[in-house]
Amino acid sequence: MRRQYATLALVFLVLFSVVASGCVSSGGGGEEKPTTIVIGVTDKVTDLDPANAYDFYTWEVLNNVMEGLVKYKPGTLEIEPALAESWEVNEDSTVWTFHLRKDLKFADGTPLTAKDVVRSIERVMTIQGDPSWLVTDFVDKVEAKDDYTVVFYLKQPTAYFLALLTTPPYFPVHPDYAADQIQSDQTAGGAGPYKITKWVRDEELVLEANPNYYGEKPKTEKIIIKFYRDASTMRLALQNGEIDIAWRTLRPSDIDSLKKDENFNVIEVPGGYIRYICLNTKNDPTSNVKVRQALAAAVDRPEIVKKVFMGTMEPLYSLVPNGMWSHKDVFETAYGDGNIDKAKALLSEAGYSESNPLEIQLWYTPTHYGDTEADLAQMLKEQWEKTGMIKVTIKSAEWGTYTDYARNGQMQVYLLGWYPDYLDPDDYTTPFLKSGANKWAGTGYSNPTMDDLLSQAQRLSDQNERAKLYEQVQDILAQDVPYIPLIQGKLFVVTQKNVKGVTIGPDMIFRYSTLYKE
Amino acid sequence: MARGLGQYIIIRALMIIPTILILYTLVFFFLRILPGNPVMAVVGTKNIPPEQLEHLMQMAGLDKPLYVQYFDYLKGVLHGDFGVTLAFPMGKPVWDYIAQRFPATLELALWAFTVSVLLGLLTGVIGATRKGTKTDSAMRVYSIIAYTLFIPWFGMMLQYLFGIHLHWLPTSGRLDPGVNLHTVTGLYVLDSIITGNWDALVSSVRHLILPALTLGIVLSGAYTRLVRNNMVDVLSQDFIRAYHARGVADRKVMWYALKNAFIPVVTLMGLQFAILLGGAVLTETTFSWPGMGTFLVDRIDYRDYNAIQGAVIFFAFFVGVISLIVDIVYALLDPRVKY
Repeated sequence: MRRQYATLALVFLVLFSVVASGCVSSGGGGEEKPTTIVIGVTDKVTDLDPANAYDFYTWEVLNNVMEGLVKYKPGTLEIEPALAESWEVNEDSTVWTFHLRKDLKFADGTPLTAKDVVRSIERVMTIQGDPSWLVTDFVDKVEAKDDYTVVFYLKQPTAYFLALLTTPPYFPVHPDYAADQIQSDQTAGGAGPYKITKWVRDEELVLEANPNYYGEKPKTEKIIIKFYRDASTMRLALQNGEIDIAWRTLRPSDIDSLKKDENFNVIEVPGGYIRYICLNTKNDPTSNVKVRQALAAAVDRPEIVKKVFMGTMEPLYSLVPNGMWSHKDVFETAYGDGNIDKAKALLSEAGYSESNPLEIQLWYTPTHYGDTEADLAQMLKEQWEKTGMIKVTIKSAEWGTYTDYARNGQMQVYLLGWYPDYLDPDDYTTPFLKSGANKWAGTGYSNPTMDDLLSQAQRLSDQNERAKLYEQVQDILAQDVPYIPLIQGKLFVVTQKNVKGVTIGPDMIFRYSTLYKE
Repeated sequence: MARGLGQYIIIRALMIIPTILILYTLVFFFLRILPGNPVMAVVGTKNIPPEQLEHLMQMAGLDKPLYVQYFDYLKGVLHGDFGVTLAFPMGKPVWDYIAQRFPATLELALWAFTVSVLLGLLTGVIGATRKGTKTDSAMRVYSIIAYTLFIPWFGMMLQYLFGIHLHWLPTSGRLDPGVNLHTVTGLYVLDSIITGNWDALVSSVRHLILPALTLGIVLSGAYTRLVRNNMVDVLSQDFIRAYHARGVADRKVMWYALKNAFIPVVTLMGLQFAILLGGAVLTETTFSWPGMGTFLVDRIDYRDYNAIQGAVIFFAFFVGVISLIVDIVYALLDPRVKY
């Protein structure tokens, strides 16, 4: 009897081992053909329709299967011709004329003409999806003069219109996209370097080189994107050789340990993603500018970067990110870091003392910005309480609730983040600082001088003149402090050793066409 | 008797309706009592004009009075329409998601169920036949440990051992990248057999092993205990002694004993199936398994009312039907059951 059960248990174990190890030799996984690269991501593709997609990762996918009239030169902020080979603009930059390349085709061979461009833009205007304001706020109408000429008539002079044109709402889409309906799972794509050949939502997206692409052929024929629910599972998959590249939202501790592992390459890229504290300028006690300035002075960014983010972020002293033209470290000049003495002096001026401390509620959202958010809130609390004159209560709400609270101005001090829509200082200033445009942020900030400067900067076409205005804007920001800039994200791509050709520009878009395996 | 059973089935089936209705009502109002909504979650910090926001609220039907929303959705469900998603991506039928995600959960649940029953029976029988020995104690310890294991932790241990350390098995997903499978039922193992796609069969079995073992081992603990105690009880009965006295082979006697000890196990199976689906949520998250569990968790994050309601109603219906089937089987197996 006894022997029987022992045998049974042994058989079970052996059977399991045989299935497991036997399968390894049968080559079910890990053995990709050299022309295929598997990328693991923790993001989701929300909507394959550029008329409705409005998140960074989906924009990345759209940028690989579609293209606009112009695009960023890989790795730079310089705009170069794409589907349009040349363009002209009238004197007050309200009429933009683009000349398309001849013989453009969609991935399936359907010719792409000016009419397709017009139809796609009008489609975005009709559907009114989330990102449609990027078109409707600027474009009055768009016309096809002939098969190869597209003319945009703008509502007001817009110096940075070319930057807007690099965003997906301006990408021409295949005629299969219905004219007045969002098609979230449409895979017909556009005229980018890749075409979609398989799409299983939240599981797998397969891209293959577009045979009709006008430009250089992608170095890797097939790109497979695997979707993971969290960073730890994705890291395991990378370590197990199931994926060639792990991309976006790895935890700081993962990045740190993978950097030390010689089996992987960790590529660091500066990112235009920023994090900041919002301060409600309408409600007490943060309606007092001295209070806001005191909070700004007590924040110690290098400590946050080191302890919370393990060096995976960099300190940020303005809303305009580091490296972008017109950027000025205004908060560093005005307050420094962890300047407790200055904070105390400002708090005293505002009528607070150690016996009568300032009491504030600091809000954060637990998952939307990753696992580190609670630590970030805790660190800020400690830094502020170091003054001995501030008492911080930490509160949290999940994303749907949090954004509702923010828009309704129900929070006092709260943490948010920003991914740019287009790469121009305007996108880092107007939505935050212009009265009305900043309704979403809930800070209630309004300053007529600021509004005027921002409007002027939008209209000018000379970059030097614009830079001067944005510098003034940043100076006022540091004095009024409706936001405290904290950190700027770096991007990390972790690859197996044999993967080369990772290209991510300042637009933070990963272009798969330059990837290859050695 | 037959009429009694028929009536019993009808009454039990009808009982599912109020259960679902209560659950739907609770979920509907709880979701809406909380601040925020799916549109806000989608829009997030993006700078869109207020008119646009209003337009999105209208599109999602959130501008209607609460009672209208309540009855609209209910009416839809009665017609088999679970509404459309309100977040990421907006306007896709919830049913499409359920149809895509549920087979993944079912496949995982069925495999985990098989593992748990087999392991539970094996360990239970071993314990019962060695009553009072160290082996019996070991089986009891196994049952306690298995029952109290925390799924994400245990899953991660298996991932490290069989994935990272031994490189035997994949740690996540349902198929290797690039393996194509024409789906018929959505159960990948079955589909690969139906379509004769052996690459997909190997790949899907390999992907199933770790999550099914994780969930199966955790759930086997309850069976171990129950099977052992029932077997001990049955083995001490006169008819077993009579078998032994007549010189019936040990293996046969054990088989008869197991058959007799099996009836309460069937009830547990029914209960376990509901727990199994709950456990699947944790297992799916650990192994990035694209099933209903991960779907529900994602949708809760974005407060997607329709998707959450749809998933909950579907789950409730499914669990209701399973427990109905178990009750019927139980009634058929044990003639002592009164309807």
